[in-house]
This record gives sequence, structure tokens and C-alpha cells, in this order.
Amino acid sequence: MSLKTTSQEAHSENSQNQLVYDHNHDGVDRRGFLKCMAWAGTGAFCVIRGGVLRSYSLGRLAEMDPTERAKEMAGELSFAQISDSHMGFNKAANPDVAGTLKAAVDKINGLAVAPEFLLHTGDISHLSKPEEFDTVEQILRDAKPKDIFYVPGEHDVLNDNGQQFLERYGKGSKGAGWYSFDKKGVHFIGLVNVVNLKAGGLGTLGQEQLAWLENDVKPLQPSTPLVVFAHIPLWSVYPEWGWGTDDSAQALSYLKKFGSVTVLNGHIHQTLQKVEGNVTFHTAASTAFPQPAPGKADSPGPMKVPAEQLKSVLGITDVNFVRGKQALGLVDSTLA
Amino acid sequence: MRRSVSFAVLSALGLLGMSALTAPPKNLAILAAQKAETAEVKIDNFSFGPATLTVPAGTTVTWTNRDDIPHTVTSSDDPKLFKSKVLDTDEKFSFTFSKAGTYSYFCSIHPKMTAKVIVQ
Repeated sequence: MSLKTTSQEAHSENSQNQLVYDHNHDGVDRRGFLKCMAWAGTGAFCVIRGGVLRSYSLGRLAEMDPTERAKEMAGELSFAQISDSHMGFNKAANPDVAGTLKAAVDKINGLAVAPEFLLHTGDISHLSKPEEFDTVEQILRDAKPKDIFYVPGEHDVLNDNGQQFLERYGKGSKGAGWYSFDKKGVHFIGLVNVVNLKAGGLGTLGQEQLAWLENDVKPLQPSTPLVVFAHIPLWSVYPEWGWGTDDSAQALSYLKKFGSVTVLNGHIHQTLQKVEGNVTFHTAASTAFPQPAPGKADSPGPMKVPAEQLKSVLGITDVNFVRGKQALGLVDSTLA
Repeated sequence: MRRSVSFAVLSALGLLGMSALTAPPKNLAILAAQKAETAEVKIDNFSFGPATLTVPAGTTVTWTNRDDIPHTVTSSDDPKLFKSKVLDTDEKFSFTFSKAGTYSYFCSIHPKMTAKVIVQ
């Protein structure tokens, strides 16, 4: 855990001002949300329960009275999200993306509660080269969680429209690699919004995938917690930089009946969060290199930060599901 | 006399030589035209520059990626007239536009990056 740089804090505050509002008068107001965002850099744990926000630092969780902690984490399902490892990237912003991915794995292995599995939300590789995927596979083999679920980023489907990705990771998936699975009563949905992108557009899910999604969630009870994960944000973070998905509104319309929906994305190499009605949107940091806050630079290119600061802007997301409480608490921890 | 004949012959040869030398300007014109028929587009900061490039028919356009992030040069037409492989930093792609028209293209990785080539 480490403190964020001043500029990072400034950007977090900014993002909150832009993005956070109490859409459904559900008690998640801006002030409460600011409190929630405080953990993004400082390593706290946040739970929204029955519309009431509660947050804990990871350190505090570890120090909690065992009985209290057991109560807080009863029936939990935990997993870790990593994203944007960009294996093969070697420019100034981070000449050692293998090293920072390894650091993420060490961090995951050191968590007080071992996550049951990992989610990788895309841009595994930088240039879709076989050796890049191989290196990531090798590094992640050292992670305690043995189950890893992937969705592709645009960097994973270069030149072959995702064939290689499907061969490596797409077993049992549909279409360009979308799928769903259940863990302890939570329904997870992995979506692909990085293929067949149209000129001038954003991320795209496409009609075939949307039809599949509608059918996939149809038989589920509204009380089933959903976790939807995809590479490009399924909310309009900053369309000017392509940080959004053209047909995400249609996808989310199928999820309206559910009481708890969490959307996990990568792509923008920074942590942002937004609550809108029943949906909590969350983007994860990159294990490779940070990108600027929306609109705060000429382009979304890699942000060069001093080497000693790099690990403080890279990270992993640790997600804990609290059974029966209709909420997911998310905590981001940085690598430093 | 003989001298003057040979001088005349030499002069004639000289003239021939001159006419042989008048040919190169035509070749030079072609060379000049060929020189005009290449153009450059740079990819910087997630954008194509210039965003609109106007060139005569027959021009070969070369794109160079100067970003730290890979991009592609992909025709927006269906079917696609051209599509580069992914271009890493400093990699290039060239395409020759033989017919007049407006050719829109984009980066298939970052589709917000759009630009066009107008061929006259």
C-alpha cells in the first residue's frame, strides 16, 4: 500500500466530481463516494450494503478482531482482478512489464485472504505475439489462485481478429470469446468489446453477443449478484479518447432487474469508479504503465513517471463478495 | 576543308549529343513527378497528421507510427482497400493511390483515430 502522488490524488478528486452522483437516491452520495474513493490509493476496503457505504483499510481488516472479521467476511467470495499487463511493452513508461506483473502476483499471493481465482481484463500482451502470451502465462503460474479468467483487450487480437486469443483462452466460450460462469451464487459474465471496431466508434459488443447476454441472464433470479467484466469500460469514461462502449447501454438494459451488478473493466490504466442505480462501475489499474486522467493530456498515451513512483500507480484490484448482503466491496492496492 | 567537314560532323554529333541531352529534362520531369508522388503521414499522440492529405493520383503515401503505442492504418471502406499490419513504434506502412477519390481510414485498435486521403 502506498500513498498516491499529489497529481494522482488531484485526478481522483476530479474524476469523482465528474462522475459521481446519486442516480437512484440510494444513499451513495458524492461525499460518501469520496470516502469510498479514498481507498483507491491508500488501500482501504469498501462495502456498499443496503445502500449504505462502509469502508475499511486492508490493514484494518487484517488487524480486526477475528470474530468481527469472520462476521464481516462470512460467506464471502474473493477474487483478484489484474489488467493491462501489456507484455512486450518496453518503452520509457515501463521497461520492465514482466517485473511489475510479477510484483502484482507477489501482492496477490500476500493477501490475507487468498483470492479464489483471478480475472484478467485484457491487454495481456502488447502486440499479440505468442511469446508475450507465453511470458504472462509463465508469470501467472506462480499465483496462488490457479483459476484465471480472461477477456481480450484490443492488443490481444491484433492482426488475426482474435483467433490466437480464442485458441489460447477461448475454450468453452462463444463468439469472439464471451462466456459466463457461476461461483458461490454469483454470476460472472465475461464480455468482448474489442473486435470489429468501427471507424470513429468506441468499443463494440455487437448484436450476436447482446442477444447471447439477454438469454444468459434471462433465467437468473433478480437477487443473483452479477459481475460483468470486459476490457473497454462499459460506461462512458471519456469517449473522446475512445474510453467507452457504443452499445453498452443495451447490454446494461438487460441487467436492470438485478439488485446488484458490478462492472469491472481495464483499458484506461487507472482506477475510477461510478455508481449508477444498481450498477457499480469500476476500472482497474494496469500492471504495466499508467495513463493520464481523462482529458488531462494531449492523448491517452503512456504516462512517464519517475521509476520510484511507478509501482505506486500500478496495481491490482481485490474484490470481496459478501454473501447475502447484495454488495461487492472493492479495494485497489498499488504495487509499492 | 577536311577539318571543316570533320568539324561539321563533330558539330552534327554535337547537336545529336545535345538532342540526346535534351531528352533528360523529360526524364527529369518524370523524376520530379515521381518525387511529388510520395507523401508522408505521421502518427503522433493518437492522431494522423495531416488529418486530411490531398495528393495527385499515383501517389504513394507512407505512414510512420511515432507513438509509444501500436496503431494500424485501416481503410474505412467495405471491402477494405488497404489495411496495415499492426505498426509498432517507428514502423511504416505504404500504399499507392492510383485513382481519384476520397479515402477515409482509421486505426482499427483506436477507432477514434480517423483521417482521410483525397486523391485528385
